[in-house]
Formats: sequence, C-alpha cells, structure tokens
Amino acid sequence: MSVDFLHPGEGAAIDTNVPALELRGIDKRFPGVVALDNVDFTLEPGKIHALMGENGAGKSTLIKIMAGVYGKDAGTIRMCGREVDIKSPRDSLKEGIKVVFQEIALISEFTVAENIFLEGYPTGKGGSIDWKKIRADSAALFDRIGFNVDPAARTGSLPVSQQQMVEIARALAHEARVVVMDEPTSSLTPNEVSLLFTVIRRLAALGIAVVYVSHKLDEVFEIADMVTVLRDGRHISTKPIGEHTNDTLIHDMIGRRIDNLFPRKRGEPGSKVALFVEKLSTARKLNDVSFEARAGEVLGFFGLMGAGRTELAKAIVGYDPITSGMIVVDGSRLVPHDTRTGVKLGIGLLTEDRKSEGLMGELPVYQNASLASLGAFARMGFIDKAKEHRAVQDYVDRFRIKTPSLFQQVKNLSGGNQQKVLISRWLMRGLKVIVVDEPTRGIDVGAKSEIFALIDRLAGEGLAVVMMTSEMPELLGLSDRVAVMCEGRLTAIMSREEATQEKILNAAIG
Amino acid sequence: MSLASTASVKAPPSLLARLFARQELALLVCLILVIVFFSVTAENFFSMRNMTNVLGQASLALTAGIGCAIVFISGEVDISIGSLLATIALPLIIIMNDTNSLLLGVSGALLFGLIIGAVNGYLTAYAGINSLIVTLGTMFIMRGGVYLYTGQRAIPDDASLDSFIALSDGRLFNIIPYSAVIAIVLLAAFAYMMRHRPFGRQIYAVGGNPEVARLAGYDVRRVKFICFIISSLLATVAGIILAARVGSAQHTAGLNFEFQVVAATVLGGVSLAGGIGSLSGMALGVLILQFLSNGLRGLGLPTEWQLVITGMIIIAAVAFDEAKRRRAIGG
Repeated sequence: MSVDFLHPGEGAAIDTNVPALELRGIDKRFPGVVALDNVDFTLEPGKIHALMGENGAGKSTLIKIMAGVYGKDAGTIRMCGREVDIKSPRDSLKEGIKVVFQEIALISEFTVAENIFLEGYPTGKGGSIDWKKIRADSAALFDRIGFNVDPAARTGSLPVSQQQMVEIARALAHEARVVVMDEPTSSLTPNEVSLLFTVIRRLAALGIAVVYVSHKLDEVFEIADMVTVLRDGRHISTKPIGEHTNDTLIHDMIGRRIDNLFPRKRGEPGSKVALFVEKLSTARKLNDVSFEARAGEVLGFFGLMGAGRTELAKAIVGYDPITSGMIVVDGSRLVPHDTRTGVKLGIGLLTEDRKSEGLMGELPVYQNASLASLGAFARMGFIDKAKEHRAVQDYVDRFRIKTPSLFQQVKNLSGGNQQKVLISRWLMRGLKVIVVDEPTRGIDVGAKSEIFALIDRLAGEGLAVVMMTSEMPELLGLSDRVAVMCEGRLTAIMSREEATQEKILNAAIG
Repeated sequence: MSLASTASVKAPPSLLARLFARQELALLVCLILVIVFFSVTAENFFSMRNMTNVLGQASLALTAGIGCAIVFISGEVDISIGSLLATIALPLIIIMNDTNSLLLGVSGALLFGLIIGAVNGYLTAYAGINSLIVTLGTMFIMRGGVYLYTGQRAIPDDASLDSFIALSDGRLFNIIPYSAVIAIVLLAAFAYMMRHRPFGRQIYAVGGNPEVARLAGYDVRRVKFICFIISSLLATVAGIILAARVGSAQHTAGLNFEFQVVAATVLGGVSLAGGIGSLSGMALGVLILQFLSNGLRGLGLPTEWQLVITGMIIIAAVAFDEAKRRRAIGG
C-alpha cells in the first residue's frame, strides 16, 4: 500500500477512498506554551495538502508529531484507517511518512549518496552495503527529479540549496505513503522550484499524500489541492484551494490581530547615527554590507533562509570574525573585533538561540540578568549582592517579567519572559545599539505583543535597534526602515512607507 | 578527515591535493619517515627481527585501538580498557588452571569483557551518564577490585598450555607473531564492517549527528551500547595476549594502557567529537608511536624522553589537523 518513487508500479495500488493519514484531536503542550490544541488534520492519498499559518501557529509541532520527533499529549493517528502508535522517527518512517525538514538534517561528513540512503542502505550478498546500487540509485533519483547534484560529493561542502535538494531526494529514496515538505523552497531558485513542483505532482499522481508547508501564498495557490490553516495552535479551516482567495487565506492565517499587535508608541527616530557599518565581509557569508542605524530607530533586516541575517548580527557585535570592513558604534570603531570591545562600546546581541547562546538555564533569573554588568555591582572584587538584586528587581518590575522570584532557574520561565531577562541583561549594561535576532522565535503569540511593545519602548528610549526577522508582519509592523538581504549581500533598504510585501520579497529573492 | 578535499565545489581539487588531504596518506608518509630516520640513525633498527618485534608489541594497542576508535567515532570515549586488561586475566588464568582448557578460559574472559562492556554501554547510552565519567569509574572499580582479589600478587599460569604460550612467542611461518596476526585479522574485519556494513555506517552517523541519525530512524542508544561491548571485547582479546606474554594474571597489567591507545587513536585522526576517522588511521597512529618508541630506545634515549616526545607529537598532530579543518571551512 505504499509507493516507491524510484520504481513506480512495483508497489500495490493505493486505496483512494481511505485517508492516507488522519490526525484527530491532537494536543501538545510545552512548558509555558500550548503548541497544539485539539487539532484535526486529514490527508487524502494523491492530494497535495498545504499546511499554512504564521510562525508559531503550530505547523512545525504538528509535523514533528507526524515524524515521531515529539509525542502527542492527546489524540489519535490513523494510517489508511488503522490506528497507529508513533513513538519515534523510526515508527513514523516504517509507516511510510517521510518528512523533509526545514533545518537541514543530513550528516555533513557523509557523501550525498550515503545521506540519501541513510534511512536504510541497500545490501547485497551477505548483508554488505551495495555501494554500486547506492551510487546508481542516487544518480537515477536526481535524474528523475531533474536536480543537478553530485552523489559523490561530501554533503557538508555543498551550498545550502543543494543540501536542500539532497533532503528532498532522500524522502523519495524509499517507499512512501505520506511525504511532508516543510518550507522546501526556502533556498531554491525559481527554476529549481518548478522542478520540485513537477516532482510533487508526480508523487501525487502515484497516490502519495503530500503535505506542503509554506509561507508563500503564490506557491500554495499553484501547487495545492487542499489548504489547512492553523493559528495559535488551533485548527482554523480546511478547504479546497479553489474556495480561497489571497485575502481569505491571509485572513484565516492572521485573524484580526494585525492591527493591534503593534501599538507604535514611540516618536520618529533622531538623526544621530548610533551604528555605522561599511563594506563588511566575512569569510563564509557576508559580502560588502554597508548601512547605518540611528538612535531611536528600529532597522529591520529581512531575508530568506541562508540570506545571512544571523551572520550579520554576529559579525556586527564582534562575535564572528570579519575579513574586511568597518564597524563604528557610537562614534568609536569596533577594534579589536571581539564581543568584549563590542559591549564596552555599547552594542549587544539578543540571540535567536536563547538556549545555547543566551541563557544559562540552570542559573537563577538574577544571575542571568546581571551577567554582562557584574563590574557595576562589584566592590573591591566582590559582588554587592544587595545592589545586584535591587537592580534586577527593578527590571523585573519594569518589564513585568513573570517569575516567582529572582532565584527561580531561568529555564523554568516561559519563552517571552526569558527573552525579557535577556533584554534586561543588555539594558543594565547601558547599550547604545541592540541587535535582536528573531526576537519572537519560540514565543507564544500572546507574549509576542509584549516583546513588540518592549522593542518599541527600547527604540523610544533612544536605542538603535537592529532587528533580524523572517516574519513579515513583525518586520512591517516594527521597523522604521527595512533592509533586505540575499545570499550575504544587502539588496535593498527602504523606508516604512515604501516597504511592501512584494518589494521586500523581490529583493529577498535577489 | 577529508574536509579539505571537498572544500571547493566548483573546481574539484587535483588528484595530488586530494591524496594529500587524506589523513591516512599523511600518516603513512609520517610512518615511513620515522622508519627511514631510525634505520639511518639507530643500530639494529632496520632488521626483519626488529620490525616484526615492533609489530608484536604494537598488537595489543592495535587490537584494543579498534574498539577505542569505534567508540570515539560513535561520539563517546572508553578509558576503562587498561583496567579491563588486568580484570579479565583473572577468570582467564583461574579457569585455565582449574580446567586445563584454553577454550574455557578464553570464553570466561570474553564473558567478563561482555558484561563490563554492557555495564559501560548501559550507563552511557541508556542511563545517560557521560561516558568519560562512566569509564573513569569502571576503570577505578576494576583496578581496585583486582587489587583486592589478588592481594596485589600475580596469579601464575600453572596450566602452561602450549596453545596459550604460543600466543606470546609463536610466529606464523616463523616470521609474524601470532598476536600481530590476530590484530591484523581483527583490524581487517572491523575496517570492513565500518565501511561496508550498515551497522558501521550507523556508527558514523550516530557520532556525526545523533539528532539526524534519530530522524533517519536509528536507535542511537542501541548503536552506542553495542560500540561499548565491541570495545570491551576487543580489549579482552588484548588482555588475553598480554596474560600469555607475562604468563600470569598481573594486578598491574595494562596500567596507563588506555592512554597509550587514546593517544594513538587521536594521532590517527579519529575525532573525539565523533563521526570522523578511520581504523586504518588509528592503526597508523599506533605504529608511528610504537616505531618511535622502539627507535628512540635504539638511540639510547631514556623512556622519560619518549613520554615527552610522544606528548608533543600528539598535540602537534591534532593542532595541524585543526588548522587544516579551519582553513577548509574558512576558505
């Protein structure tokens, strides 16, 4: 009852009357966040089903439950009408559910061919790996899809777009009943996207149920048969694509929140340049990036995956080395290029990866907040605890950080409150420029507006805010000016008035 | 360790560059240089007798090094192997003394090794304790246990079975020591497994990126568990050869052995971070250190200096490797 893309016709015919995959009443909670609340999702064989929603709507969580990465807290999963218990990725793969994840999930030391057959190597006599077949099948697979990737190349040495093709090919190397593609086109060229669409249609023609996750409306209208929209972890609608227009789809995704999500309270930015970056390049990504950010301004950077936003953020605060260019913070050059100097001059990074680059989860709230400004609390080499606690308490009150006490381990706070602790860390240090990278990643929708208000307030207090984001509403709602990146280059800078979704996306594609 | 070889996507590097980027080739060149150097400078170095002797001496580290490298590649470490050498000698010698059977003695030793590997593997893979800590713990426990049991006296091999003694001084065709033959056969078998059996590739995948391996449906814990068992069983084989060589179960057997093996494995380009390295690299690492130590002794340099030089070589080798890797990524 499953289909082999490489050898079509060998598998048994698929019963098109029974849903290929049926999820009912799925609940999933994480500490502090309800990720999925009673979600239904049904996939018909041979149909392309788009799954849509803003970041944080619950798409990724739903996919990860299908893939066996997360367990569900409640609900049932049926494959072809039969209830199944998916406890691990292994179970999911056995049921024929193949997921192409947005983050590249490949072993970078392995060759492309090895990665394609990672799930199970074809073996010859005596159970040894049949390398000849692996190489031949990988080449045949790329041939069938039309992608141009060398199966013998070491995966880690390939550009992101080719790695993404390897991911896609891998999902098709074994028999499949359901293929899930999570933002598969984020780093593909238009030509590669059309190749991918041909493959997806062919998969559907073979009777495979395809889930297509994307932010891009035009793609969804082009490829999908059905659309399911999630919002805030809840199922909003499931309709044939023909019953949707751009407006109805956006309405389902965003609801009516867009107007009051970003209550802009600050005035217009001043004219003082707080951050000046000229012809900045790094070894791996950035190429000749120049811009300036003024005090009191939110400068929003947009770009697709791999555009270099995070790289830029890390380079301008002195975290990652640069190969050429100049960074001036509040009138002084960032030389030597390290974070110690950066903090001294008044530039700090609010990382996108709170867990590994921001917080010390086991440590209490107050130690996390005071980390960058211990010097201010020191007396003769000892920390004046009372002074430290008073200062942190002040921020806890100002930002309404919800924590039982200053001594709570910071890992027990919700994502939004953790973010506030990190912002406190930098403000305590007296920054001139704060670089925020995906400030609302992994944060509840309800708490997002608080973070937005906080960023608005930071700019209002005269900081220059450089914001890296992949979320269009966030970008358009918060920024005074919008900068767009593509493949390490700056492709456009526009004012809030000029910036439209279309212009931004065009610049992001390059 | 062939990162440099594929750094450029557009223009494939020349054959020569690719060959030199291969860790194993660089190591082979080093080994030849060491041998040539001492053949010129040290007396009696370049003789069939000395060469095969060195091979025999290296066979313990070669055998145990297979397991050490496999555990490294899976992303863990096992430093309990030195103590294990002393531990498994007890059942081996005691059973042989009681039954006059090499087969029963060896079976007993392997069973012991299996249990120890299972304990290391369970505590690391399933209980989630850091493998350095686990094997540091079992290293002390086993050594302490052996001291307690023997009262710090050697237990002599009273059975003196011919087949057992042959393990220490027997030579195939009167040339290659049996211990070296065992090591080479095991090396070939496991090198084949690592390259051509699905399980070998699973080990690389698990060490290279456990999360990706899990998404690909691998049972990461089971793979690591089995690696620890392999490591202990191979160390058991090394322990049996050592017991044959000294003709007894010695409570001090294998002291610091784990560090010699770790040193050679690291020198051979097997990364502690997992997913990188090969058994042939490990084997070359063992041979380089063994020939070096033999040659330095031939030059009359005291053992103390050998330690100092070995330490410097290991750090230099890994630093060189790191620099090469950085350049490959940065460029």
